[in-house]
Amino acid sequence: MLSVLIAATIALFPLAADQPLDLKAALAAAQPGDTIVVPAGRYAGPLVIDTPVTLVGQDYPVIDAGGSGSVITVNAPDVTIRGFEIRGSGASLDREDAGVTGLAPRLTVEDNRLEDVLFGVYLKDAPGSVVRGNTVAGKPLEMGVRGDGLRLWYSAGSLVENNHVSDSRDMIVWYSPDSIIRGNTVERSRYGLHFMVNENVLIEENVLRDNSVGIYLMYGDGYTVRRNLLFDNRGQSGYGLGLKDVDNAVVDGNYFVANRVGVYNDHSPLSPNATTRTENNLFAYNDIALWMLPLVEDNVTAGNVFQENGEQIALAGEGVLRNNLWSEAGRGNYWSDYAGYDADNNGVGDVPYQAQSLFEDLLAKHPELRLFQLSPATDAIDLAARAFPLFQPRPKMTDEHPLMAPPVLPAVPGLTPAPLAANLAASLAMLAAAALILVFAVRRPRRTTG
Amino acid sequence: MTSSLTTIWTLAQKEMRDALRNRWFLLYTAAFAALALAFSWLALAGAGIAGFAGFGRTAASLINLVLLIVPLMALTIGAQSIAAELERGTLSYLLAQPIGRLEVFLGKYLGLALSLLAALALGFGISGLVMVLSGSGAADPGAYVALVVLAFLLGLAMLSVGFLVSALTRKASVAVGIGLFLWLAFVFLGDLGMMGTAVAMKLPIASLFAMSLSNPSQVFKMAAILDINATLDILGPAGMYAVHQYGQGLLAILLGTLALWAIVPGVLAYLRFANRGDL
Repeated sequence: MLSVLIAATIALFPLAADQPLDLKAALAAAQPGDTIVVPAGRYAGPLVIDTPVTLVGQDYPVIDAGGSGSVITVNAPDVTIRGFEIRGSGASLDREDAGVTGLAPRLTVEDNRLEDVLFGVYLKDAPGSVVRGNTVAGKPLEMGVRGDGLRLWYSAGSLVENNHVSDSRDMIVWYSPDSIIRGNTVERSRYGLHFMVNENVLIEENVLRDNSVGIYLMYGDGYTVRRNLLFDNRGQSGYGLGLKDVDNAVVDGNYFVANRVGVYNDHSPLSPNATTRTENNLFAYNDIALWMLPLVEDNVTAGNVFQENGEQIALAGEGVLRNNLWSEAGRGNYWSDYAGYDADNNGVGDVPYQAQSLFEDLLAKHPELRLFQLSPATDAIDLAARAFPLFQPRPKMTDEHPLMAPPVLPAVPGLTPAPLAANLAASLAMLAAAALILVFAVRRPRRTTG
Repeated sequence: MTSSLTTIWTLAQKEMRDALRNRWFLLYTAAFAALALAFSWLALAGAGIAGFAGFGRTAASLINLVLLIVPLMALTIGAQSIAAELERGTLSYLLAQPIGRLEVFLGKYLGLALSLLAALALGFGISGLVMVLSGSGAADPGAYVALVVLAFLLGLAMLSVGFLVSALTRKASVAVGIGLFLWLAFVFLGDLGMMGTAVAMKLPIASLFAMSLSNPSQVFKMAAILDINATLDILGPAGMYAVHQYGQGLLAILLGTLALWAIVPGVLAYLRFANRGDL
C-alpha cells in the first residue's frame, strides 16, 4: 500500500522524458524470478527490493537517492542488480548509508558504477553473494568520516571480483569465511583490503596502490595471498601486507614494491604448530622489506627476491629472530646485498647471508634515529663496525642457502611503466643546460664599444 | 647599471673558465658524474629482476651521493675563490681597475654558482639518460628536475659558507683546510653528534627535528625525500612528526632554511670582503 502511494506521488511529478518507467511500481508488482529491464534515464531512490528479481539497466540508468539514506536496499534473497549508475547516498556513518545494502543471501551486484556514495556495496548477513566488475568512487570526505568501498559482514562464501575502488576508506571482509577476493583494484584509500576473523579466504591478483595499508589480515586461519601487486602503500602505517595473529597464511608470488614496509609480521602464526609461508615474492625498493616482531616464530621464508630495499629485514624492537626457516630443501632467498660466492656452481651461495648492520640495530632500539637515514654518517657507522669487529652486532637472521641469482617470478597485474619520453626530455634538458653554461664560459667576453 | 651587469658577467665568465682549469673541480665533477652513472646502472640491473627499475632507490642513492660530494665541491671552490687570488696577487690588480668590490664579489659568486650548476646538470642528466635507456625513470620527471634544483640550492648554501671562509683568511691553503673540516662537520660529525645527543639525552622527536634543521645537508635531504615520496615516513617518527605538524608548510620551512644558509653567510662574506683593508 505504501509503495503504491509513493509510486502514485512520483507519477504526479513525473520526469516524463527522463523516466520512462515507474521503477518503484514495477518492483512492487514483480513476481519472484521476474527480470525488470530498466531503460536509460534518471530514477529517484531510495529503492527497496523485497522480491527476488533481476534488475538489468540499459545504458546505465541513474538511480539517485539525492543525498540521504541508502540508494538500494535488498531484503529478498537471489536478487541481481546489473548495469546501473548508483549515486547520491547519505553521508551518515551511523546509519551506514550505502550505494547497495544487501541484507539477504545470494545477492549479485554486477557491472554498476557507484559514485558519491558513503559505503559502496554493503553485504550484511548476505552469504553466497557476488560483487563483480563495479567501480566505486567514494565521497570527497576526510579519511576518518568516509565509508567503506565494499564491506562484507557475516557473508560467507562470497565472491568479490574485478571491482575498482578509489578514494574510499577500507574494503572490509569480516567474519566471511570461504570468500574469494580476486582481481580488484583499490587506490588512494586507507586499508586496501582489511580482513578480520575468516577461514580459508583466497586473495589473488588484486592491485593495491597508494593506500595507507595494502592488505591487512587480522585473526583467522588459512588465508592465501597470491600474485597481488602492493605498490606505494605509505604513511603512518604504510604496510604492503600486515599479518596480525593469523595462522597458516600462505603469501605466494606477490610483488611488494616501494612500500614503507613490504610485509609487517605482528605475531603470526599465533597458535603452536601453525606456520606462515612466504614464498616466491618480490620485495623491491621498499623502505623495509620484512618487518617482524622479535618474538615471531615458525615462519618459512624461501624463494623470495629481496631487491634493493632500504632495510631487507627489520625488527620491531630489540632481539634476534629464532625458530624461523629462511630456506627450504637447500634453497633460500635472493638478497641483492649478498656478497658471498658459489664455488661449486650449484646456484646457492657457499657462505650464509646474514642481515647485520650496526646502524639498523641502533634503529631497532632508537627508531627516532631513522631521521638520519641516507646520511653518509650512517654509512660511516656501518663501516666502523666492519673495521672494528668489537662493535659487530649480532645477525638478526641467517639464510644458510642464499640464492646467487634471482628466481624468475610470474608477472602480476597492474604495473605501469614510467613516462619515458618526458624523462628523456628532462635528462636531455639537463645536459643541454650543462652544455650551455660551458659555451658561455668558453666564449670570449664581448668587447664594449664607445 | 648595464655596464656594471656586463662587468659582473665578464668576471663570471672568467671564473667559469678558471673552474674549467681547476683540477679539483674537474675531479669532483667527474667523480659525481661517474658515480651517478654507476647508480643508475645498478638500477638497470634491477630492471631485469622486477620487470622495471625502481626510481625511488636510485633517487635515494643520488641523494646520498649529493650529500657526500656537493658540499665538498662547493666548499672547496668557495674557499679558494678570494683567498687564492689574494695570495697570487691578482686580486689587488683586479681591484685597481675601475670596478666596485660588489661587482667583483657578485661576478665570482655567479661564475662559481653556474659552474656548480653545470656539474650537477651533467651528472643528473647522464644518470637520467641511462635510466631512460634502461626503460625506467621517474614516475614524475618534474620530481627529478626538482631534485637537481634542490641539490643546486644545497650547493649555493655550501658555496656561501666557502666564500665566508675565503673572505676571512689570507692563504688559500688555510681556507681550503677549513673548508674540508667544515665538510667533515656538515656531512659526518654534525649528524654523528646529533645522533649521540638524541640517544644520550633521550631527546623528544620535536627537538630532534628542530636540531636537524641546523645542518643544511639534513635540510636538503628532507626536502629531496619530500619531493620524491611526498612523505617523510622513511625518516621514521621524527619525519612523520614533521609532516603531520607542518603539513604543506614543511617544504616552505625547508626551502627557507636552505635559502637562509645561502644568503646569510654570503652577505657576511661580502661585508668582510668589502671592508677588508689589506686588499
